[in-house]
Amino acid sequence: MTAIAPAARPLSRRLGNVIRLHMANPFTIFLTPLLVVSAIFAINWMIWWIIRTLTPNDPDSVANVSAGFQYSGATLWIFVYMMVIAIMAMNLTFSFALGFGSTRRDFIVGSGLTFMGLAAAYSVVYILLAAVEAWTGGWGVGGSMFNSIYFGIDSPWWLRLFHVFALFVFFFAIGSAFGAMYVRYKARGLILFFSVLSIGILGGAALLTVSGSWPAVGTFFATVGFTGAYALSLIVSAIAGLAGYLILRRATPRS
Amino acid sequence: MDESRPIFQQIAERIENDIIAGTLPEETQVPSTNEFAAFLRINPATAGKGVGLLVEAGILYKKRGIGMFVAAGARDRLLAERRDRFRDQYVAPLLAEARKLGITSRDVVALITDTQKENDS
Amino acid sequence: MTAVVEVRDLTKHYGKVHAVDGVSFQLEENRITGLLGRNGAGKTTLMSLLTAQEFASSGSIEVFGASPLENAAVLQQLCFIKESQKYPDDFKVKHVLRTAPWFFPHWDQRFADRLVTEFRLPLDGRMKKISRGQFSAVGVVVGLASRAPLTFFDEPYLGLDAVARQLFYDRLLEDYAEHPRTVVLSTHLIDEVSDLLEHVLVIDSGKLLVDSAADELRGSAATVVGGREAVDRFVGTREVLHRDGIGGLASVTVAGLDDAERAAARSAGLELGQVSLQQLVVRLTSGTATDFTEELSA
Repeated sequence: MTAIAPAARPLSRRLGNVIRLHMANPFTIFLTPLLVVSAIFAINWMIWWIIRTLTPNDPDSVANVSAGFQYSGATLWIFVYMMVIAIMAMNLTFSFALGFGSTRRDFIVGSGLTFMGLAAAYSVVYILLAAVEAWTGGWGVGGSMFNSIYFGIDSPWWLRLFHVFALFVFFFAIGSAFGAMYVRYKARGLILFFSVLSIGILGGAALLTVSGSWPAVGTFFATVGFTGAYALSLIVSAIAGLAGYLILRRATPRS
Repeated sequence: MDESRPIFQQIAERIENDIIAGTLPEETQVPSTNEFAAFLRINPATAGKGVGLLVEAGILYKKRGIGMFVAAGARDRLLAERRDRFRDQYVAPLLAEARKLGITSRDVVALITDTQKENDS
Repeated sequence: MTAVVEVRDLTKHYGKVHAVDGVSFQLEENRITGLLGRNGAGKTTLMSLLTAQEFASSGSIEVFGASPLENAAVLQQLCFIKESQKYPDDFKVKHVLRTAPWFFPHWDQRFADRLVTEFRLPLDGRMKKISRGQFSAVGVVVGLASRAPLTFFDEPYLGLDAVARQLFYDRLLEDYAEHPRTVVLSTHLIDEVSDLLEHVLVIDSGKLLVDSAADELRGSAATVVGGREAVDRFVGTREVLHRDGIGGLASVTVAGLDDAERAAARSAGLELGQVSLQQLVVRLTSGTATDFTEELSA
């Protein structure tokens, strides 16, 4: 005679557990990113203030300087940090979740949902801060952190929201893929992957240069515009997510 | 707990000893299996097996809903059993040791009588 | 007899090394089973396979009647406390205790709270920073409070002082008596837990050497000590587990002596020594015989 286990708890409950697990320590998911962003913001504000003070006070110069700020890439660090969060989450939380009896499938799907949720939440906050930024005239110094050229300055807010969301998702996705690779193949695998990737990128760039195709690339992006580019990035994100899923399915929490 | 003999047997023996010594009179309640296990720090199932042995031998019986009790006549039955085993467990080894030391059977008997006299006084 | 785990010809190899080699056994419901063996014998690998954290190379595993791999219904009934459990960075003890109930449907919070006090767990301590003993204590508390129908403890006592270890054994027995569950305890501190075990599995180099009731093992071996000739004469063709000797004295561990044979040994002037479960397992898995006389004369 064999003992039989009762039915599994509903999927929503199991996925919810994984999501809660990622959020269990608010420090990692919310507070540290907040600190990082605040620090970046503070540094940027100082720079804006210094430059602003040194700029002559005529409207043209001020407008020039403010426009210049819009090209600052400072804001990108926030997104890159999302990749870091995803990598850490994959590595540490995977072993923990599996140790406590979660299935790999539940963990992957739950993590995916967590990241999508975070991306959505952060995007909303981001756009709200952009509004505040515009309203305070660039935080009182004409600065530009959340109204960056990279998201389309003159686009309506809901389009910018989409752009920001897509970028958050992109970094979460590749972070998940890298994290999954690390869990399964460890440092050696990751190094191998990046080596191949670098060769691939350099090779691709070389090919484009030799065949004189850079202008074509430029035209392509000009045609699709920001929205198109970000929409395409979603495809890349989906592929990265799928890759992470396939990799993690055979991974073990072995130390 | 003697490490080289089955524990459930040792449990049964402990209870038997208590019955013979009179610590567990007939018709009194015996501690539950779980109590034994906790007290002796052994597996409850093992304790249960030991108690089960005694139930099978008719030394203990179960009162439904209350617990295990010492059966009537248990003490007499145990005494009879022990007497039968006395010879193999104590007398034979005594004689073997005496032989090893070169003590004759007559000396052994004398030793027994003397020691008994000392104990009695 | 209700089987909770059925393993057939299970093998796991890492490259050329067979961590688990053709192992077959059944685990009966609501029994405390000891998984014994030397370091690296395959105990942790076996438990990782049963909890679907590692993938088997070949063979079959059935837990609660089904393969545990990616099976949420089965996995939620399991609790695997291992010494190498990883926790997310910055996780504190209180986070572990907050998240554990989500994964174990039978979790008893009151029991957990009591255990936290008794084991003196530092709730605000970081899992990465607390002492080895406290780390193990967290695992012990989770394993006990989980009330998982199939609970695995992999050498859970590492770093625990004697008081904490005794507390663990006491609470385990107490809880097991009130709420029976299937427990697998891997350890090499065999003597300490030997009274708790009902069943024993001994693994050596990935192979299953022993699969029997603990009580059957106890008393299944005895050490005969005396003059070499007398001992050899008595031992005769019996199965010898271990031979030791120095000068004219020999000490041989043999399997299975009944009462009559014991009496015979005693009357032949030989001494019979006890063989504890730990010594038995050591003899079975060490595979060496020491004869000091030979060494001295070499």
